[in-house]
Amino acid sequence: MKLFSKYNRVNIIVTIIVLLLSAVLYYFFLEAALIHQLDKNLFIEENEINDFIKENKELPEPTNTKDEQEFYTLYHQTIARNISSIDVYNKKEKEYTTYRQLEFPVTANGKIYKADVRKSQEEAEDMVQLILKITLAVVLILLITLFIINRFVLNKLWKPFNATLQQIKQFDISGKKEVQLQKTNITEFTELNTAVHLMTKKANRDYNEIKNFTENASHEIQTPLAIIQSKIELLSQSENLKEEQMNMIQTISETTNRLSKLNQSLLLLTKIDNRQFEQNSVVNLSFFIQKNINNYEELIHAKEITLTKNIQPDVTITMNETLAETLIINLLTNAIKHNVENGSIHFDLNKTSLFICNTGNIPNVDTAVYFERFKKDSDTAESLGLGLSIVKKICDIYNFNISYNFYKKLHCIKINF
Amino acid sequence: MKILIVEDEKDLCEAIVTYLKSENYICETATDFKKAIAKIDVHDYDCILLDITIPGGNGLDILKELKANNKMDGVLIISAKNSLDDKISGLTLGADDYLSKPFHLSELSARVAAIIRRKNFEGNNLLKFENIIIDTIAKSVSIKNKMPELTKKEYELLLYFISNKNRVISKNAIAEHLWGDDMEGNNDFIYTHIKNLRKKLSDAGAGDYIKSVYGMGYKFSAS
Repeated sequence: MKLFSKYNRVNIIVTIIVLLLSAVLYYFFLEAALIHQLDKNLFIEENEINDFIKENKELPEPTNTKDEQEFYTLYHQTIARNISSIDVYNKKEKEYTTYRQLEFPVTANGKIYKADVRKSQEEAEDMVQLILKITLAVVLILLITLFIINRFVLNKLWKPFNATLQQIKQFDISGKKEVQLQKTNITEFTELNTAVHLMTKKANRDYNEIKNFTENASHEIQTPLAIIQSKIELLSQSENLKEEQMNMIQTISETTNRLSKLNQSLLLLTKIDNRQFEQNSVVNLSFFIQKNINNYEELIHAKEITLTKNIQPDVTITMNETLAETLIINLLTNAIKHNVENGSIHFDLNKTSLFICNTGNIPNVDTAVYFERFKKDSDTAESLGLGLSIVKKICDIYNFNISYNFYKKLHCIKINF
Repeated sequence: MKILIVEDEKDLCEAIVTYLKSENYICETATDFKKAIAKIDVHDYDCILLDITIPGGNGLDILKELKANNKMDGVLIISAKNSLDDKISGLTLGADDYLSKPFHLSELSARVAAIIRRKNFEGNNLLKFENIIIDTIAKSVSIKNKMPELTKKEYELLLYFISNKNRVISKNAIAEHLWGDDMEGNNDFIYTHIKNLRKKLSDAGAGDYIKSVYGMGYKFSAS
């Protein structure tokens, strides 16, 4: 949920609850105040009646209007003063009307009467209702205003944040494109931008340091290897070498070769890890596969492997060209190397997936670890066990789904783009 | 044929010189940037082997200097920085080829020969060994007016052998030359190719020039 929606939801719910509660309280307080006012008026009437009786020694004329009623009933005993709200049926208007009634005893001409003074509560109630309606209208307007303010003002307030977020998303670790942060006068966002700026700078610097380190490590290792290899080659040109010496030279040569391949493969993995292959282009996979099949055609033929293929023409994919080629070559050479005499290889390519199946020995190790580094079947000792982890790594950085299956004596690798 | 080797690793430099000298190239060396610039300003070379990381500067700047002076020297970049950027910028700046360390001297020698062939075009597209004539432009082979049908890899193999005649070439070097870096550990395949090439050459009337050298590889020689 967006921060804005979350905030808005909480804000509006709380506002509604508070406003409704206060409306209810308001209603009761207002009503109480108005009734209090009515009661006061009734007491004034009571005083006026008592004063009238004192002066004139008789009861005043009863009144009977819709708003006010006064009447007297002969009583033989004194009654207690009592004030209450009652509903009285109005015959004329055929409806009940709520009145505030004060009962009190009066004595005139030596007789005890019960005096009833009533005042209509209707007016007061109308007022309360009007006030309530106005209040609710105000609440509604307030809510709409709040909503609009939240929507537009908050959106505007968060703009620098969103701009920064966008920049972080487009952040290029190699530092080719610097992060462009908008200036803002909001302290929190300025702080965020400063932190982002420092962090990206550091990330760029560290990345480049690692990149340089891997390059330098490569340089430092490859050069001694180059010296060893060239000296062995010169040595092997010597005349009159003994058989034993020749064998030794051969072993040294092959070991050096393996060491150098190992170094190169590890470097490649590190470089892929470090995202040093960023330049993407539209790669024609169909063409790449065909080209490499042609390159290894004679090798496939020499091993008497039958190659079948079902390659949809012009299947393109956006990725780094070197990695695309590495991927194809690794898959193909893997299928050739781990194949058997008179075996088969099958390539299947369409717009969504690449499928390669080859015959081979029954796996000796758990096939789930094939994509891990240095995992290999023991019978192919010369293999480095890095080919498939390179393939996996390439698939990972492009979010391709890769799976391996051993089925009906076929090793099958499927890549979904 | 004059070759300049710009390489700061003395041992490697020596090995290259020894190998190339026996191919009858005249070799000069420069171990840093200044020496290299001084040499290319004064002399013309058929081919320059250029290391990118050398003391005192960047090998690519030497390449720029050459191109700025309209020098026609062939340039083969040899770099331990197996980085794509260097390769691309090297080739864009006008280098003829790129070889990453470590390399086989036989591969280096074949590449140098190829660059020189391309540079000195006239009449040099014909490569001869005894009665075998290779036309490197038409990519065809003729032996006593017969044209054996060689596959692409067999042709490459023959050219590689002739570029490194009288040398012991390891199976690894051959495998890498034919299929690149990715077929390590499968040198047995080479045997089939050698067998086929040998048969085609002898059918066409060439001598049996491909000799196996016990344990180490093959040697292409007339004797």
